[in-house]
Amino acid sequence: MELPARSNEIALEYFQFHDEIRRLMAPPTENASSFTALLELPHSSAVELLHLPEPFKYSAVASSGSLKPYFQHLGAGGMCFSANSAPVERASTFAVETDASSHKVKDEPQAETTESDSNPIISLSQPLLSDFDKEDKGQMPGKRKDREKKAKGSAKKSKNQSSGDAEELPYVHVRARRGEATDRHSLAERARREKINARMKLLRELVPGCNKISGTALVLDEIINHVQTLQRQVELLSMRLAAETPRMDVNLDSIFTTESASLVDQSFSNMVYPLPCSDPQPNIPRQYQQYPWHLNPLQHPMWVREELKNNPITSKNSHMSDDSPANPAAMHSRAMEKDRAMKIE
Amino acid sequence: MMTCSTSHRLKMRADKSLLRQKFLKKWVKLLQLYTSSEKLATVIERKKLIELSADVALASARGGTTRWSRALIASAFKDSHDKTPCCANGGERTLHESITRKITSKKVLQRIRGGASKEAQASSSNRIPASSIAKRLVKKRTKLLKKIVPGGESMDNVSLISETLDYIISLRAQIDVMRSLVYLSGHLDA
Repeated sequence: MELPARSNEIALEYFQFHDEIRRLMAPPTENASSFTALLELPHSSAVELLHLPEPFKYSAVASSGSLKPYFQHLGAGGMCFSANSAPVERASTFAVETDASSHKVKDEPQAETTESDSNPIISLSQPLLSDFDKEDKGQMPGKRKDREKKAKGSAKKSKNQSSGDAEELPYVHVRARRGEATDRHSLAERARREKINARMKLLRELVPGCNKISGTALVLDEIINHVQTLQRQVELLSMRLAAETPRMDVNLDSIFTTESASLVDQSFSNMVYPLPCSDPQPNIPRQYQQYPWHLNPLQHPMWVREELKNNPITSKNSHMSDDSPANPAAMHSRAMEKDRAMKIE
Repeated sequence: MMTCSTSHRLKMRADKSLLRQKFLKKWVKLLQLYTSSEKLATVIERKKLIELSADVALASARGGTTRWSRALIASAFKDSHDKTPCCANGGERTLHESITRKITSKKVLQRIRGGASKEAQASSSNRIPASSIAKRLVKKRTKLLKKIVPGGESMDNVSLISETLDYIISLRAQIDVMRSLVYLSGHLDA
């Protein structure tokens, strides 16, 4: 009786705060582009990247309103605001994301939600990621549906703050707007659709030229095109390499690999994809000149000497003659590498 | 916020260079291993070897974390077992064996799950027949994408997209390294 009436005004309140939160959360959506970096990072540091800036924002928003006592911080991407005590219980049930805290909330639905989340952020999120990795999809929807049952009303869940977050969580919190179906199937569908849309957004940022195109089919076209182009480039380059190394005895020297790798970074950090593979050479010398601190006249001949020593095609003379200048060059190149690494960090 | 984004961008660049270095090291190791065999007379043979070792190196640089890398290694070993049975790359082989075991069990589970989810989808899509043309197009494209991305056949749409993301990044790293090698070898020859 009172619940349905309350639910409307609570939905309205949620909307107001949702807008505010969205405004506050707009900056971290830049992290969505760095999600691609997160793909390469080990999960723990990815989690740290995602979650460390957030607590400050949440506390700011909470202190702004009079909702401080009811604010419950959820660590990994869900937020619940509530003004009255009655729906606080429901909010608390929705506030759960991990196994650890889930038991607590289930046992004390009437407990004061003034207690903030007990688990620190990072330890919360790490088991999340490991769960996600195992792709335990069977378990998660079950737990989520349990929470829904506890709700006994409209499904009010808070939205993720960034698309990057949505990827890492086993729970995707879906907001059910007024007038939309709130049964389990459509919620699950909407969650799935939001997941897909979030990832499509990332893909569109990655693939050049997709931002202007609207519509999934055409974007997929572009993506397929891009992947095929990249694969063809790999083939062409391998053909070129095969043509240019008749003997194929690559001399592995750790110095060589680090040098050429760092060279690769500097040469290609500014490259824009896709580039025609036909003749990359006019681009490269220009980019070398952009990094004079690496290629000043003192260092360059030493590097060339390194290459000459290691390259099997050109070093027809024995390696022994190059030994003594090689070692100081090696040490010097290692020092350069460390310098560069420090600058990047 | 700005400092956060720039630091993220720098970390991104550092990660990219990490990936490239990993790939380069593994690739060079593989090339050294494989160049012991004799059938390297023709350009085509060399190209095949280079490409194969590059792909395997790229996939192993990502470890067993992504599905496309596992599928790529699996297919590479399938091919190479016909040609060079003596490729005693111990690390790759153990990785490959553990991965194939995981893959077969996962594939079974996925087919079960995939079948269930397909039913749910069909029932819900019957309710909304409006955008069927767009859906057909999207389905066609996703099928194509699945063929292109290694190991994409047994993936649902969600993971397909994230795998594609990862695959594109790795491909770019591979192309960077190979291009620079080409440049270096060409530059030093002259």
